[in-house]
Amino acid sequence: MKLNSEEVNAIALESRLLLTEEELSNAVRYINNFLDMLDRFKELNLENVEPFSFAETLECPLREDTVISFTNTQAIFDESEHVDGAFFKVPRIMEE
Amino acid sequence: MELYELNLSFLVEGLKAKKFSPLEVYESCKNRIEKCEKNIHALITRTEDFAKSQLNENNNGILAGVPTILKDNLCTKGIKTTAASKILGDWRPPYDATAWKDLREAGAVLMGKANMDEFAMGNTCGNSAYGATHNPNDISRVPGGSSGGSAAAVSAGYVPFSLGSDTGGSIRQPASFCGVYGLKPTYGMVSRYGLISYGSSLDQIGPFARTVRDLQLVMSVISQYDPMDSSCFRGKKFDFTHSEDVSVKGKKIALVKEFQDFKLDTPISDAMKKVQKILEDEGAIITEVSLPVVARYAVACYYALAMSEAHTNLERYDGIRLGYTVKDASGIKEMFERVRSYGFGSEVKSRIIAGTCLTEPSRCEEYYVAATKVRTLIAQEFTKAFEDVDFILQPVTPSLPQKIGENDDDEMKSYATDLYTLPVNLAGLPGLSFFTGYSGNLPVGLQLIGKRWSDPEILNTGIILERHLGTPKIANGGE
Repeated sequence: MKLNSEEVNAIALESRLLLTEEELSNAVRYINNFLDMLDRFKELNLENVEPFSFAETLECPLREDTVISFTNTQAIFDESEHVDGAFFKVPRIMEE
Repeated sequence: MELYELNLSFLVEGLKAKKFSPLEVYESCKNRIEKCEKNIHALITRTEDFAKSQLNENNNGILAGVPTILKDNLCTKGIKTTAASKILGDWRPPYDATAWKDLREAGAVLMGKANMDEFAMGNTCGNSAYGATHNPNDISRVPGGSSGGSAAAVSAGYVPFSLGSDTGGSIRQPASFCGVYGLKPTYGMVSRYGLISYGSSLDQIGPFARTVRDLQLVMSVISQYDPMDSSCFRGKKFDFTHSEDVSVKGKKIALVKEFQDFKLDTPISDAMKKVQKILEDEGAIITEVSLPVVARYAVACYYALAMSEAHTNLERYDGIRLGYTVKDASGIKEMFERVRSYGFGSEVKSRIIAGTCLTEPSRCEEYYVAATKVRTLIAQEFTKAFEDVDFILQPVTPSLPQKIGENDDDEMKSYATDLYTLPVNLAGLPGLSFFTGYSGNLPVGLQLIGKRWSDPEILNTGIILERHLGTPKIANGGE
């Protein structure tokens, strides 16, 4: 086993996920099976291989740098319960 | 014959010739949905009222008055869009996805948003916060996924065509399971602007329909350059004009050597033989290509990349700007944790954790970077293969659709069944899932793959295959 439940729980917390005991036990099994599957990469010599990119999009097509007006901002605010005037209001960021 | 039974091209011709009205078509499709939806549950949100309001817009476009359905990960302005996840709540996007905007401008009217696996993660359409969709050919079985609702809706005659998305087979596998045609276009051919992201280097929007000709018609509308999607390739023109005067004479169509030893359900291996014979009789040359890296490493490579990208894409769901939220959190960390822990389903959580794990600095080189390099080898293997052959013929899945609830408890074994579809996404290729006939009441599909941008040629070959194999019938939808 590559990762124990403590390590998997720490990764889950990094992802801002709180797992139940059952979820954690499933996640431990899942991650370890998954990492075992990825072990087969070690059979390949990847030293001189470049990471993948689509040949045609190596040069990312750029748009003209012009302002496009978006008039439907109210529709965006309407979807949030954390709006204060023209701003999103979030809970405190600094921990006490 | 009822109007809902008409395939897209006939429907378009009939509407144009005023043999029937858009309202009559709308009523027929609406009644069909009413009749079958309790058995199939293909839709998360029904939008018949919106469709009816669209009929008053007097659109004269090529799809004027044609009902359609979109997978619920395509943004629709002012209409609830969920990606089948609790975390999006009742979110109404402030804009339309480009593919839907193109269809809407061409006159298509929206009858509903289709069920799917949450955030497109799954291959059964059972991993949805809104319950499972059933296969319209046999409601005890899965319709495939993740675009299972879109495929089931076309199969059952709700609408003549729909849109789905395909990250590792999510159009082609449900098309095969439901007995319709599905195209995963070349990466970069159809704009993904407004598609809720899963694996951005793999995601592609594409159509479902009951004939190949209908796929051509839809592709002619949605294969447009869009500056809002930087993967959309500028400067290419694609001709999806339908013609019956098509040929595969002299074309080289390959089977994958390494796949020959893998076990297939008998109806699928029988279909492979039948289709080879048809192509040979039409003058094609059946040959073989070797894809050893694909066969051994594609599944691991795909899931390493898909999960890494998913974990990044899903970081944005924090409960602040949209969707499910809590109002009494004491701090931002508590808010994120409560929103995400409640909002995401278990498969999504597993994939986020796996993606976080693979991209951590201590493991990134060993797993994520290695996977991006393996992907290069896979793409190179395909490029080399397509120097010698025109198309690759292969199954979509090794088995026919399983019973609902008969999922493999070992996720890795379940992932391995995606071997025939996901290499196509890794290399950004087009793939057509086509109907070959029935085994009992279950449809049997196969897949044709081509080099990048060969989508029009693949569909032309599909026209020939459909001529020989027949057009799928509308499923009984549990009635």
